[in-house]
Amino acid sequence: MEESPLHPFELHNYIPLSLGGLDISINKAVIIMWVVVALVAYLMLRAGASRQLVPGKLQSLAEMLVDFIRGIILDTMGKDGMRFFPLVATLFLFILFCNLIGLIPGSYTVTSQIVVTAVFACVVYGLSLVMGFLLHGAKFLGILVPPGTPGWLLPLMIPIELISQLARPISLAVRLFANMTAGHVILGVLFGLAISGGVLIGWLPFAFTIAMNGLEVGIAFIQAYIFTVLTCVYLGDAFHLHGHDDHAH
Amino acid sequence: MPQFESSFFSSLIFWEVLSFGILFFVLYKFAFPGILGVLEEREKKIKDSLDQAERHRAESERALKTYEAKLSAAAKEAEAILAAAQERAQRLLDENEQRMSTEAERIKGEATREIDHERRKAIQDIRNQTTELALMVAEKVVQRSLTDADHRKFADEALSALSKSHS
Repeated sequence: MEESPLHPFELHNYIPLSLGGLDISINKAVIIMWVVVALVAYLMLRAGASRQLVPGKLQSLAEMLVDFIRGIILDTMGKDGMRFFPLVATLFLFILFCNLIGLIPGSYTVTSQIVVTAVFACVVYGLSLVMGFLLHGAKFLGILVPPGTPGWLLPLMIPIELISQLARPISLAVRLFANMTAGHVILGVLFGLAISGGVLIGWLPFAFTIAMNGLEVGIAFIQAYIFTVLTCVYLGDAFHLHGHDDHAH
Repeated sequence: MPQFESSFFSSLIFWEVLSFGILFFVLYKFAFPGILGVLEEREKKIKDSLDQAERHRAESERALKTYEAKLSAAAKEAEAILAAAQERAQRLLDENEQRMSTEAERIKGEATREIDHERRKAIQDIRNQTTELALMVAEKVVQRSLTDADHRKFADEALSALSKSHS
C-alpha cells in the first residue's frame, strides 16, 4: 500500500460542529491541542502546587522549563520584559508540547498546520505593534529608520525596513510550519522505504527512521526555542525602540 | 499539500485560540506565580546561605586570629616566667654558694685563731714550767740562796740562751 508522504498531514472531521455558521468541527489536530493543554496544565499545576524548596522530578522539570524561558526573556528584553512571561512561557510550552507529541507515531503535529503557526505569529507580531504604538506613539514609526541613517537614504531605507518588518510574522509562521512538515515528510518517506524494502534491506531505512526521530526531538525543541526567542526579540524591539533605553540588556 | 486545505482553517483557528486562551489563563492564574515564587525563593535562599557562609567564614577567621594572638602571647608569657624562674634559681644558688663559702671561711679562721691561741698558751705554759724547773735545778746546783731578783735575772738569761740555742 503506497501512501503519499503528505498523508499524515491530512485531517478528517470526527464530529461536525458549527458555531453561528462557523465550522468548528472536531478533528485530530483539535484533539491533540486538548491533549497538549491538559499535559502542560497538569505538569505546571502540579509543579506550582508542590512548591518544595528541594524539588521532586516533576517540579524540577517544570522549573527547568520556566527558568529556561525566564533566561530567554531576561537575555533579550531585560528585567521589565518579565511582564510578558506568562504569554511567552505559555507560547513556548504549547509549541514545544505540540512538536513533541507530534513525534509519537499515530498522533498529529498541530504545528505542521500553517494556519496554527500563522495565528501565533500574527498574535506575537500584532502584540509587538500594539505595544510599540502604545508605548511610543507615532515615534514608533521610527522603527522603520535605523539610527544614524542619512536623510538622502530614507527613500531607500524605509521600504527595505518595511519589507523586513512584514517578513517577521511570515518567517515566524513559515519557519515552524516548514520545519515540522519537512521532518515528518522525511520520516514518512524513510518509513515508506522501510516498509517497501522488506526484511532484507528494509532495516536500513528503518534504522534511519529511528535516528531521524531522535533528531526530530531536538528539532522540536529548537524550533520552539527559536519561536520563543524571536517572540522576545520582536516584543523587545517594540519595547526599547532602537535600544534607546540603557536597560535593554 | 493537505495543510493548505482551507476547509479546516476555521475550526483550527477557533480551537487553537480557545485552547491557548484556556491554557494561558490557567497557567497565568494558578501555575506561574507558584513556580516563579519558588524559583525566586530558592534563589534568595541560596544567596542568603552563601552570604551567611561568607559571614561565618570571616567570623571564624577573626576568631582564629585572636586565638592565635592569645596563644602567642601566652607562649611569650610562659617564656618570660621560665626565664625569671631560672634567673631566680641561679641567684639563689649563687647566694647560697657565697654564704657557704664565707661561713666556711669564717669557721676556718676561727679554728685557726683558736689553734694559734692554744699553741701560744701551750708555749707559755712550757716556758713557765721550764723556768721553774730551771730554777729548781739551779738552786740545787749552786746551793745557795739567791734573791728573787737574782733568780729572775738568771732565769731570764738561761731562758734566752735556751731559746737562742733552740732556735
